[in-house]
Amino acid sequence: MPQFLSNKRLILLLIGVILLVALISLTLRDRGQVSLPEQIVKEAVGAGQSVFSRPAHFVTGVFDNIDSLINTFEENRLLKARLEEFAGVQAEVTDLRSENDELKELVGKEEDLREYNPIQAVVIARNPDQWEEKIILNRGTNHGVKENMAVMTAGGLIGKVTIVTPTTSTVELVTTQNPNYRVSAMVLGEDDVFGLIEGYDPERRELLLKRIDFSVDLKEGDQVVSSGLGGIFPKGIVIGEITEVTIDEFGLTKLAYVKPAADFSMLNHVVIADRLAPEVDGEDNGMTEEEEEES
Amino acid sequence: MIRFLVPIVCLVLFFVEPIFGLFSPLSIGGSFYYVVPRFLILFLIFLTVFYELRHALFYGLFFGLLYDVFYIDIIGLYSFLYPAVCLIAAYFFKKIPQNLLSATLLALGLLIAMEVALYLFFQLIGLTDAPAGTFLTSRLWPTLIANALYLGLLGWVFRSMMVTQDPQRGTKFGLY
Repeated sequence: MPQFLSNKRLILLLIGVILLVALISLTLRDRGQVSLPEQIVKEAVGAGQSVFSRPAHFVTGVFDNIDSLINTFEENRLLKARLEEFAGVQAEVTDLRSENDELKELVGKEEDLREYNPIQAVVIARNPDQWEEKIILNRGTNHGVKENMAVMTAGGLIGKVTIVTPTTSTVELVTTQNPNYRVSAMVLGEDDVFGLIEGYDPERRELLLKRIDFSVDLKEGDQVVSSGLGGIFPKGIVIGEITEVTIDEFGLTKLAYVKPAADFSMLNHVVIADRLAPEVDGEDNGMTEEEEEES
Repeated sequence: MIRFLVPIVCLVLFFVEPIFGLFSPLSIGGSFYYVVPRFLILFLIFLTVFYELRHALFYGLFFGLLYDVFYIDIIGLYSFLYPAVCLIAAYFFKKIPQNLLSATLLALGLLIAMEVALYLFFQLIGLTDAPAGTFLTSRLWPTLIANALYLGLLGWVFRSMMVTQDPQRGTKFGLY
């Protein structure tokens, strides 16, 4: 033991610890910003990672294909039943769409919160120590990705972009524990109800929809979608459906548990939504950056 | 040859980890299990005990830094933990019987220590509020089992890769 901690080593150890604490606290404070050396490392590792992720996705794709082949008969029967409904729904959608366009023209409304430019991206990695739910995509500022954009799969919303470099972007999933992570959402019904997706219950594996007006009646099974009022996300991305409605910890507003519609394991192809309507600074929590600094 | 082999293996393990991370969380019977691949650090522990500490420290620092920058965005976490774990491994391995089984057990023991340290750290900075029980059942045991499987499959490959590089070492460690 005396050899293990001689004087010189002790001093070195102390200096090391001080440096370490300084580095950690420094990088903890501004995790959103990426300095140039960090960016270079991210680019390089990202390039290497996409080389490795391609065959991995190929292999899992093969397994998925085999899996779906096994269920083909059952699925086919179900789909045939749905196909008859589909024709009717299709006709209705076309009808409603043209009507919507006409009405928009009538009131002279051009911008729509719903419209967005989809940017296709492939997941090249998932943060292997899964303390924070993060994935890394192979698209960056070169492809038009910006911070705080919504990311979704065919199932629904999965997260938002937190860090972008020219060719990669880091996405924080909605299942994160980060208390500052908010998404403006609304519950579809006869009257739309607005709230904020704020927080995640890891044991129930459900999102928390908070700040709902106390007088509003919500039902289990109601669909929750993004409202587009946060300033960055487009409107109408499916988030999930309500499984339980309770009162929040202060007893002033309602809280609903929302089961996410997207499947978060084995993410592969995702879509980044670049909203066409002008974006507001901030984090899709309904505040601009200036307001946030004040609060 | 080991001079080229070690960095290549490290690089491959570093890139393979997040791909295995894509499979997690595993859902078995309605409950979810987080399996964290720790391939690189287990390899580095083997490098420490069967080859040389200095190399392991260097690679630990380098890949720890990459890990921090690319995934965690907190610089200094893994770039500290990886070399620290290697140092502790070197310290303890002198005091126990030196064979493959003991090295595997030591590596797994250190893995538990590292996971607990990380849990405490992330709890400190408020990124997780999972109670200790949840941490044990949904994260630590699955991770440990998966990584033990990995070491069981590849541990002897690593060992023979390192031991055969140095003829003097080859005689020092017996078959068992």
